[in-house]
Amino acid sequence: MPKDVPHVSDISIAMLTDDPYPCFDRVRDRASAVWVDSARLNLVTRFDDIMEIERNHHIFASTNPQSLMNTVMGHSLMRKDDEAHQIERKAIEPSFRPGVVKQHFAPIFSVIVDELLDGIAAKGQADLFDAFAAPMASHALIELLGLDGVGWQDLARWSQALMDGVGNYGADPDIANRAKDASDAVDRVIDKALPRHLKSKNPTILSSMAHAPTLHGINQIRANVKVIIGGGLNEPRDAILTSLHGLLSHPDQLAAVRADPSLHSAVFEEAVRWVSPIGMYPRRVTCDTTLGETPLKEGDQLGICVGAANRDPSRFTRPNDFDIHRPRQQHLAFGAGPHFCAGTWVARQMVGEIAVPRLLRRLKGLRLDSQKTVQVRGWVFRGPTSLPVLWDA
Amino acid sequence: MVKLTFVQADGTEHQVDATLGLSVMQVALSQGVPGISAECNGSAACATCHVYFDASVFDLLPAVQTHEDDMLDFAASDRNPGSRLSCQVQVTEAIAGTRIQLPDLQ
Ligand code: HEM
Ligand code: FES
Repeated sequence: MPKDVPHVSDISIAMLTDDPYPCFDRVRDRASAVWVDSARLNLVTRFDDIMEIERNHHIFASTNPQSLMNTVMGHSLMRKDDEAHQIERKAIEPSFRPGVVKQHFAPIFSVIVDELLDGIAAKGQADLFDAFAAPMASHALIELLGLDGVGWQDLARWSQALMDGVGNYGADPDIANRAKDASDAVDRVIDKALPRHLKSKNPTILSSMAHAPTLHGINQIRANVKVIIGGGLNEPRDAILTSLHGLLSHPDQLAAVRADPSLHSAVFEEAVRWVSPIGMYPRRVTCDTTLGETPLKEGDQLGICVGAANRDPSRFTRPNDFDIHRPRQQHLAFGAGPHFCAGTWVARQMVGEIAVPRLLRRLKGLRLDSQKTVQVRGWVFRGPTSLPVLWDA
Repeated sequence: MVKLTFVQADGTEHQVDATLGLSVMQVALSQGVPGISAECNGSAACATCHVYFDASVFDLLPAVQTHEDDMLDFAASDRNPGSRLSCQVQVTEAIAGTRIQLPDLQ
């Protein structure tokens, strides 16, 4: 006989934000889905269960009438299923193809990285969050989208405001207002850039949307641009910082990549496994079903914890260790199934092939600043919030 | 149902009954054939469902679209003239009895 979904009331949001992994371990040991009071979700933490969910998107849907994301950003492809999702996914695909990224966007990313490094190389010290990773990811996203006259701080601020709005379960009016302002600002920059892209087709995301095989309405374009601004900035930023944090705290592995740069792709994959930038994303149960031994009811809200699955001891040996020499193996940092990250190849090249290798080559003797501490925070989204380093200037 | 044979990089063979209309990737996964990862479960976004068809069969398949073509260049094992993403190829009568070679890395 299946049992009910177990409840846990002694895991707080503060515990999850500080270090989610011990909480994930408890939940994973307990059952396939566990209701966590503070998160107000049934958390799913086992690798195989998440694969099962991703292979059955009719039972575990992304469409969600209650989603705050729809209120804040409009109804984007991330909260659609089946054909409605496919139409919008196909529309953006041309900008995200690995060959397009490599030929068109990689040279642009390289220039961005080198300019940022020119600006800090003589200093000998920096917090790489503000001095490198955040501006890198923001400049890159401006180029990918095809926006004109937008500063990197603007985009970073809008991204944060939108994401805060999506997480505003307490209905705080200030957060809601800031999200609305950001949303309006994004609409204005889309309106400004769109005529140029309509006139001449090019590899940017706005152009791909403007020339979609199935004509898009302005609201579809707006919602999808916002979801990409919300989800395409923090993740590569955090992946850059986590890669560097992993390497700098494991000097033997740093020496290994310096000696053999072909290891950089393994560094990237291991970094996003070790501390997955998106730790949790939602799904909704569409009919009564069971997951493993756990019965679920129509309407149940699930929190798919890929950050936990990526440390599932049944899949990964010594899962809490950062180890770039692990055997090549599937992880879930980009999800799986129909919503598998559209930006996977962008992130691989931006972070794994360009930002991290170029920074290590340029900043000789790079090391953690032992006088300061590295902060890592978050569970829905997780990454270093500061990475103070020194190098030989 | 038609028969398909998957040939592993080491030569091991798995003959399976494939349901018409499923993708070749879905057939391999549902029948427990190893050698296909399919990390994106058929979204044509991961290139970890790469397989090789014989030239004679390749020509019977619907043409490779731009997106798949781009993605195949980034598969972990080298592309050859018979390369396809198995999630983009449907089981039809036309490929009954085919031998499908798997790469050594996905
Ligand atoms: C290391 C960096 C990144 C990670 C770890 C990551 C992770 C993810 C994950 C887990 C999902 C699935 C969410 C779900 O199923 O609900 C996703 C979806 C998505 N990601 Fe990423 N992402 C990254 C970078 C990017 C970048 C740079 C972009 C765009 C420039 C991007 C665009 C998207 C889009 C558009 C979707 C929605 C796809 C759909 O609904 O079909 N991502 N990402
Ligand atoms: S399963 Fe990912 S490309 Fe085919």
